[in-house]
Amino acid sequence: MSDAVDDETEFYGDRKIDSKPIPLLDAIKEKGRVWEDLADEYGVTNPDPPWKITLETTCDLLAGDSCVKDYDEVDQDTTLLPSLDRRWEEDALSDGRYKDVPFPERQLLSLAHSMINRGLLDEAELEKHMAAVEKRLNSG
Amino acid sequence: MSDHDHDHKPAPVVDEVSDFEILEVAVRELAIEKGLFTMDDHRTWTEYIHTLGPTPAARLVAKAWLDPEYKKLCIEDGVTASREVDIDWVTSPPTQFGTPSDYCNLRVLADTPTLKHVVVCTLCSCYPRPILGQSPEWYRTPNYRRRLVRWPRQVLSEFGLQVPEDVEVRVADSNQKTRYIVMPNRPEGTDGWTEDQLTEIVTRDCLIGVAVPKPGVTSNVKLPVMKAANPVPH
Repeated sequence: MSDAVDDETEFYGDRKIDSKPIPLLDAIKEKGRVWEDLADEYGVTNPDPPWKITLETTCDLLAGDSCVKDYDEVDQDTTLLPSLDRRWEEDALSDGRYKDVPFPERQLLSLAHSMINRGLLDEAELEKHMAAVEKRLNSG
Repeated sequence: MSDHDHDHKPAPVVDEVSDFEILEVAVRELAIEKGLFTMDDHRTWTEYIHTLGPTPAARLVAKAWLDPEYKKLCIEDGVTASREVDIDWVTSPPTQFGTPSDYCNLRVLADTPTLKHVVVCTLCSCYPRPILGQSPEWYRTPNYRRRLVRWPRQVLSEFGLQVPEDVEVRVADSNQKTRYIVMPNRPEGTDGWTEDQLTEIVTRDCLIGVAVPKPGVTSNVKLPVMKAANPVPH
């Protein structure tokens, strides 16, 4: 379990997790419609959203070889987002900032949060690209 | 009316693009744009994990039935034992960089005449994909996940598995970091069988623990619907 000490820091065990708010992700948390609500509304019975499998692949690919070595031996230059780091951060964020978001939506928010904190993504760039994706997916 | 009309209604679909779906696509596409991985790697890995099946786990069990030393290894170190059936949890194909740590830790739960194991994930749908493939839909339902831990015998009976009172039922709850498969007892009537023959009767459901192997039963998921022997008149 994580212990929130303020709005921007949480501890998971003895690990400090940067959980400062990211406005774009907070907005998605507030207004995004989660799969369980959509499935109920449309009468769909599959329990997971179709994008869960591709989300998992993204996590897998960013993990590189971080699962095959002891944590201290992971080469940070070749592993973009080590699995254990991502999971610790996801656990802490799932227990804090994204507590009210169901799985796997909170896994997605946590991944984006971790990537932005590491500079793998830029918040403004992500927002801009989301607008382009939205336009494209709704164009049909 | 067109020639393509069907008698049945189309299955419902979610006719709406959610912000979460957009976020998933955007994160993935930006990562590709930045060269963090390639689109082809992503598609290949997704296809790989989607097309895995239960055969490696079935063969692991069959080998263990024939080789007590291997059975011991399975129980002590499932990850090492998996290599004997060509599943390397450390460097899985096709990318050769390994499976994610959140399912690297495999434990093989061996049934005994007085102990029956069954696997669930109460939190979500954690499942040992590399060795068992994709989970069945029922494994992910709240019905199974919530009720199995409370009323395991009742839920197992709904799968047609009646566990005798003198046999303990132990439910293993998977999590993000540990995955389980069940090694059922070798059934009677299989003396002298080869590894291939034994592998055929260890079905996916046996490996989850909701069924037990039986000579002649090689699939629990594609059985034909049989007419009731004593149908209720109506």
